Amino acid sequence: MTEFISGISVVCFAASYLVALACEASRPLFRSGVRGALLVGFAAAGFFAHTIFLGWRAANEPAVPLSSAFDWYLLAAWLLAGGYLWLLVANPRTQVGLFLLPVVLALVGAAQLSSRAPFPQSPATQVWGAIHGSFNLAASVAVAGGAVAGLMWLIQAARLTRKRTPAQGLRLPSLELLATATGRSAAIAAWTAAAGFISGLVLNAVNRQRGLLETVPWNDPVVLRMGMLVAWLIAAALTARALARRPDAARVTAWLSLASFVVLTASILWGLLGDTRHGVPPTHAATSREAVP
Amino acid sequence: MTLAFVGGTHRTVPLALRERLAFSAEQAADALHRFRARFPGREVVLLSTCNRVELYAAGEEASMPPPAEQLVSFLAECRGIDAAILAPVLARQSDEAVVRHLFSVASGLDSMVLGEPQIVAQVKQAWALAQRSETAGPLTAGMFQAALRTAKRVASETALGRERLSIPSVAVADFARGVFERFDDKRVLVIGAGKMAHETLRYLREAGARDIVVVNRTADRADRLAARLGGRPGRFDDLVAELAAADLVVSTTGASEPIVTADLFARAETSREGRPLVVLDLALPRDFDPAIGARPGVWLYSIDDLGAACEANRRSRQREMPAALAIVDEEARRFMGDLHHRSTAPVIERLRAGWSETGDAELERLFRRLPALDDTARAEIRQAFERYAAKMLHSPLTSLRNESHSGPPHGLLDALKRLFDLKE
Repeated sequence: MTEFISGISVVCFAASYLVALACEASRPLFRSGVRGALLVGFAAAGFFAHTIFLGWRAANEPAVPLSSAFDWYLLAAWLLAGGYLWLLVANPRTQVGLFLLPVVLALVGAAQLSSRAPFPQSPATQVWGAIHGSFNLAASVAVAGGAVAGLMWLIQAARLTRKRTPAQGLRLPSLELLATATGRSAAIAAWTAAAGFISGLVLNAVNRQRGLLETVPWNDPVVLRMGMLVAWLIAAALTARALARRPDAARVTAWLSLASFVVLTASILWGLLGDTRHGVPPTHAATSREAVP
Repeated sequence: MTLAFVGGTHRTVPLALRERLAFSAEQAADALHRFRARFPGREVVLLSTCNRVELYAAGEEASMPPPAEQLVSFLAECRGIDAAILAPVLARQSDEAVVRHLFSVASGLDSMVLGEPQIVAQVKQAWALAQRSETAGPLTAGMFQAALRTAKRVASETALGRERLSIPSVAVADFARGVFERFDDKRVLVIGAGKMAHETLRYLREAGARDIVVVNRTADRADRLAARLGGRPGRFDDLVAELAAADLVVSTTGASEPIVTADLFARAETSREGRPLVVLDLALPRDFDPAIGARPGVWLYSIDDLGAACEANRRSRQREMPAALAIVDEEARRFMGDLHHRSTAPVIERLRAGWSETGDAELERLFRRLPALDDTARAEIRQAFERYAAKMLHSPLTSLRNESHSGPPHGLLDALKRLFDLKE
């Protein structure tokens, strides 16, 4: 059993999600009596393997979830995949997977490109580190979920404006539901991103004050991009709130959610490609300082 | 011939004659009892709907189904119509054509509205009535079960019955439901008393709508309409306020000019606080100025828009016809194969009985010559004989089954009868 569990790799659940995505994509093309079962089967199998993989890493690696960029991306993908599975079972006729699964697969792909080395930690900053990581994770998932809902809102609105009946195999949730999801995602993303940024500042300040680990310079690209992202998300949420009583509020919020996703993606790519001290293992000197109580 | 059919549909029988030919449930039961008395041993199912009256008869060997002309006369007599009037407009079919026709009917391929689902329930009811009247039997059972299976396959494997075709159903299910997730917290405003308002409200109520306000130029009429439609009356003078409070409007007045102009709507819009509004303008001429549809948050559908969507759905159903016909063809061939194979059963039975008798006689002779054999040895020898007989019969029976797929295997049956001297 242990051998089986330890044998589960990223490829296992990525392949399952890919097959589920292929099933979703084939819905408008042809009808099939077995596709529904295949879809739920592969989505559930992927989510199960994904859960086992993260659980195994949490139990056997020295670090816990959220402790490396690799785990962080996989956990974000896991949350979105869980949401997809729930939507698939609760409302199998709507085709949310066609929009959500590519994001899940992109996050799994980003995980593969990211470092598996644990973020530097010390007992004094572990709690702040966990808070920082959790809020950033929630913000990213909210942005991704909001963008998916926003995109579906725009497609559904275009269909209703053109006065067309739903295309075969492309049934989307109602505008009302999508507008609610987009608006709430924008608010959650703004609050959690702000909390994540502030907790990151506190974490860095504690490190700096106590001389623990290696501190991140205030002008580090990660600090700058996170600051910009938080500023954007707060501005987007406030704009959406200010326009809430206007008839075009849902459309504006949908576009803002897509823009937020673009900003988040650019921010992640900047983080992957840029030179930063964020999340870099401590230098010898820093490690030595940490050893001193 | 084991299956026979006579019947008429909306395509062949004029409406006036169809009305006279139609059977109520009691009349259908009575007709089945009369059929059983007149043609004992035969099976029959009577399918009578608004658009068709069809008699499916079946029988085997000594009790073949009555000839088509007798079935026509029977129908005419049951409904008190001159058979000479009825005969030219009723279709007649036999054997495989009957099966294909029934499968097409059950799948909605022969319906006035292509792919309409109600026909499945009507076929089921006709079959249930035949069972209760004891005019159903193994042949009709197999045929109707296969017909219902075919209808299920057509419904699940094609999009024939998916798209809606009536304007109220398209308006609610494809458009209003695209905007709103739920209707139990929405205000529905009905303007006017057009016929389609009633049908649209039926769909809206099924979707959960409870808060319904009816306005009409005449207050008394609004009261009566509200009572009839299950809503509460509103004042026509308060139309701006009612529009401001509404989430969904169904408008069906007979006004010759738009009653909701862009200016009037603009006054209501200021109080709407950005809530989306769905307008189903089912009036002709239109009740809402088309310019209102361009306002953000307003989803305005005129009767032409909805009619165009229905027409697109109708074309979409037509495109599914080849796939549906392929399923009917496959299921009909399968059923006919089973039916033909079923006709070989008496010969197979006699063949097996002949081999069994010969085997038993030989075994008895053997056991008399070898009295020392104990029970275990005797049982082993008996089993060996049975296995041998089964293996020897396997090839001819398989050939018989395969031959059944392409029609009644008369040639093989005759050959078997002559080769093995099988007596009737």
